[in-house]
Amino acid sequence: MDTSGVTIEAVPTPEEKRPKQPGRPYSGALVVVEGIDGSGKSTQLHLLKRWLEVGGYRTYFTEWNSSPLVKSATRRGKKRHLLTPVTFSLIHAADFADRYERQILPLLRSGHLVLADRYIYTAFARDGARGCPVDWLRNLYQYAVVPDVTFYFRAPLEVAIRRILSGRPRLKYYEAGMDLGLSLDPVESFTKFQGLTLARYDQMVQTDNFVLMDGTLPVHQLQQKMRDVVGGHIELKRFKKGKDE
Amino acid sequence: MTEPIKRESAGNDGSESAEIATVMAEGSESGEGWATDVAASRMTVGLPTRDRSELSGHLIVLEGTDGSGRSTQIALLTEWLESQGFAVQTMGLRRSFLIAKDIDSLLAKNSVTRYTLALMYATDFFDQLENRILPALRSGMIVLADRYYYTLIVRAAVRGLQHGYLHRIYDLALPPDLTFFLNVRPQISFEREFQKSPAISFWEAGRDLHLSDDLYDSFISYQTMIRKEFVALAKHHGFTTLNGENSIRTVNADLRKQIASYLGIKNIKYRPSHALVHLWQ
Repeated sequence: MDTSGVTIEAVPTPEEKRPKQPGRPYSGALVVVEGIDGSGKSTQLHLLKRWLEVGGYRTYFTEWNSSPLVKSATRRGKKRHLLTPVTFSLIHAADFADRYERQILPLLRSGHLVLADRYIYTAFARDGARGCPVDWLRNLYQYAVVPDVTFYFRAPLEVAIRRILSGRPRLKYYEAGMDLGLSLDPVESFTKFQGLTLARYDQMVQTDNFVLMDGTLPVHQLQQKMRDVVGGHIELKRFKKGKDE
Repeated sequence: MTEPIKRESAGNDGSESAEIATVMAEGSESGEGWATDVAASRMTVGLPTRDRSELSGHLIVLEGTDGSGRSTQIALLTEWLESQGFAVQTMGLRRSFLIAKDIDSLLAKNSVTRYTLALMYATDFFDQLENRILPALRSGMIVLADRYYYTLIVRAAVRGLQHGYLHRIYDLALPPDLTFFLNVRPQISFEREFQKSPAISFWEAGRDLHLSDDLYDSFISYQTMIRKEFVALAKHHGFTTLNGENSIRTVNADLRKQIASYLGIKNIKYRPSHALVHLWQ
């Protein structure tokens, strides 16, 4: 299913006419979901997007995946297990930079409400768990704007792992953290790697102002909280489409 | 909640879902293969070390603008060092197996933004550092680098990226034992580049910076900016600056003298073999 739901209007309002956010060089807003696989974050962002679309807001959804730009290199590196923690991190940083400079920032500049499934914190957590120094990682992404709201979906490791493993036949090499030599067994390696990643996320709750979401709560209840928080942090009426849009 | 969960379970990285299909169809990533990979990875995985204790080789870097004579000097130094009994490995930018081809195609299309390009070059650099340079240094070879990360800092800096940002990326890289900067005026670079190829390339002229519609002016302005950055770096990092406008023989003699003194080679006399003698004239 294509979930990239592009909702850009044919004729966007000129950027200068929209008020910029205080202290920010753009008039849009950025909402991010973070968390390990199986935490329920993508489900929730999908529901948030539906709500905003139906409500008639200028919304754009973006997710952490490979742009065509570095796809072949990423695939080559992953398939042949060529990536080290540093090159794994850098190739994803290049990928993010491309998406950021050509998609996320222009959308923020043109006054969109941008919804991001994973953002820079994914790199901090995952590449940090791989052993890259945290300050080095923070520097790599220092040009990226701080989101208006970052939701951190936290589910206990066992719950997240069960959700993931029930839905897929096989784990991939880097996804399972096999490059770290934590275990020869993919499931055990994956579990350990996700545990390390989870611990990194937990450390960022305070430092990066995450809104903590209990991923074990019912979907509907979580979504209600998410909508309340978004409505409280962001002046949504600024993103309402005009009659002609 | 079936749809989104399905999407999420396809991986933390949407691209991987497509990849699953490929990998599975080809069956190249079998469970059995992992055991050996992990065993191998225990030796190779880790951050590039700045610790020299395990490295018995030596890293010698030649930096300089386009047309400063680096490649010629590296060819000559390789022959000389090998004739002295040293095993030599060379490296240059955009030569990694991982990502070099992708950078080539990006440059050809000129559709890349500055952070992306800087980070792709960084990926290429660290791939070579970890997979080519460090193994060579561990086995005691002399690595001659035709450009090093300093060039990458210089190129990104003239495109407006902050020096601090760039230097911190390369904090993880191994500092060279010796770094030479071949200093050449842009006008001389231009002459030499034109001897090599019949037309000036888009990137050598820094055309992405929109400095001038006149290609000669653009080339000179761009190479002047690059050179200025190099001179500052050379001062900051204590590079050995050589006058790259001197003859190939003279520059080569300077390089041999310094390298010989560093490596403890007594005999610095050298005449190129038949294969390279054309460079000498």
